[in-house]
Amino acid sequence: MTRLLAIAGFVLSALLIIGVEWAARRYRKIPTLSDMAAVIMTHESGRIPLGRVAIFGFWWWVGWHFLAR
Amino acid sequence: MDHPELTVAAAPAWTRPAVTMPIFGVLSLMGGFLPSFSLEANLYLFTLGAVMMWLGLGQRVPRRPAPTRLPGGLAWWLLPVGVLVFFEITAFAGGSTESYPTLSLLVDPLLDNYLPRALLYFGWLTGFWGLVRR
Repeated sequence: MTRLLAIAGFVLSALLIIGVEWAARRYRKIPTLSDMAAVIMTHESGRIPLGRVAIFGFWWWVGWHFLAR
Repeated sequence: MDHPELTVAAAPAWTRPAVTMPIFGVLSLMGGFLPSFSLEANLYLFTLGAVMMWLGLGQRVPRRPAPTRLPGGLAWWLLPVGVLVFFEITAFAGGSTESYPTLSLLVDPLLDNYLPRALLYFGWLTGFWGLVRR
């Protein structure tokens, strides 16, 4: 029963991500995931592109977490 | 009259989807053969990520401009993120058991199969490339 609850929670989350992204592209009142990532990636600390390193590092970790470990 | 400031460098031919997508396809088909927890999979992921990082931090790949400000509806993203974080954290805090699993415990059996694994490689590479271009 709790397993089904967890699955339902993750499915709901995925559906909400798709729904909000669709609304963002349709109505332009919500930022898209890509635009949010782009804004984060503009952040720099001195000459270090901290935002780009952070976003790339996060995506790198996602791939490693699901595909290599 | 010349307007050099208006000159926009054309994107290199190799950055076009007609070139990159087949490359990602081949890399994904190869990656699908590498099982989780193997040294090969770790090295493969490390190499792919390092190349993407190198491309993304350099000036070789043209980038799409970032918006100067975001629309006000940013808070809508708290809804899916909140649901995901709630279920992930409660499952993690409970020890991620079969009866109440985290997301990775749920998808691991699926990713033991070649096709879902190759598809996830493709999605991951395409997503990485999208970030490199931003």
